[in-house]
Amino acid sequence: MDILVILFLVTGLLFFLGGAIGIIRMPDFYSRLHPAGKLDTLGILAMVLGLAIYNLHHFSFESLLLSIKMFLIVFFVFLSSPTATHSIVDAGMRAGLRHWTKKKRKG
Amino acid sequence: MKFLGFIVVCLTGALLLYGTGQFPAWGDPGSPASTHLSNYYIEKTVEQTQVPNIVTAVLADYRGFDTMFETSVIFCAGLTCFLLLRDFTEKKERFYRHRPTGVILHVKDSEKVLKVGKEFEHIDKDFVPSDLIIKTVCRILIPFIQIYALYVVAHGDFSPGGGFQGGVIFGSSLILLAISYDLKTLVERIKEKVLGIFAAVGVLIYVGIATICMPMGGNFLNYGMLAPLLPGDPRHVRALGMLGVEIGVGLAVMAVMAIIYINIVSEGRHDEGL
Repeated sequence: MDILVILFLVTGLLFFLGGAIGIIRMPDFYSRLHPAGKLDTLGILAMVLGLAIYNLHHFSFESLLLSIKMFLIVFFVFLSSPTATHSIVDAGMRAGLRHWTKKKRKG
Repeated sequence: MKFLGFIVVCLTGALLLYGTGQFPAWGDPGSPASTHLSNYYIEKTVEQTQVPNIVTAVLADYRGFDTMFETSVIFCAGLTCFLLLRDFTEKKERFYRHRPTGVILHVKDSEKVLKVGKEFEHIDKDFVPSDLIIKTVCRILIPFIQIYALYVVAHGDFSPGGGFQGGVIFGSSLILLAISYDLKTLVERIKEKVLGIFAAVGVLIYVGIATICMPMGGNFLNYGMLAPLLPGDPRHVRALGMLGVEIGVGLAVMAVMAIIYINIVSEGRHDEGL
């Protein structure tokens, strides 16, 4: 059981680390939103999964309820985080921000 | 210049660190913060008020006046926003969209008003196409946010939280509606008058509960005197009084949040914005 918890927590940490590195290293606005939107969402799923399993150590109705509440957090993050990313990208496109290309633009 | 900034930062940091040396030790029973009033609250709160949470008891009972005037400050903020920004002049230009074809009509004559319904709809001057994803997700989320806000208000007397936080969460759900759809949707759902009345009624509930205590034979804000009016265990009467007060605060904060947002974003015209 503990191994499973550690596994999920480490997976979540890896995703968060990847997201953080991606936000710094990616070349432009749109590609930075990609790790920010995707990896954080998956990272929070793995983290909360691990914590919910850890919470079920002493199995009772209350702890089960608490675990379900934790998954409500995941549900709302899954709904809101990609939508927020989508709307930011949408606003960027409408404001006329050009996406990054590998060719160096002159000037 | 950068080097100068570095020196300034180092000096300030050193001063702050030097200052921390004078602090009383962590958890020191002789420190000023834990010698005078705190002990009194910790020892007497349960005995005197029967409220399970000391923080809320201090906020809404011992310092009831403070919270009452905070609420009236919030009300005044909303009122000021309304008085300074509200602009009742009708805008001359209007934009309509013909729904079946998507043709946009620009009406410059203020006399001509098209009937908005199945055929035409209002659109903003800075045309923002409606986004299905954002609208749908916000439509799913807003009821949950509002239920959570009501939970925070209703739990105000038992756990940290209460009227201010619940009101702000509820107000933010209204603002989310205005952002994801448009301002007209929000203004149509909740009329300006209703918001104003809510803000005033919220403060009135607080002051009303406080005033009722006086003819019952107590001081202003002495919830314990409400016992004959409220059903249930008389020992819980202070918690119930706080709950009523928190509901009033929540109403006022919710309405004022919406009033401030609507007035600022549309420059007082309540027609379009963001």
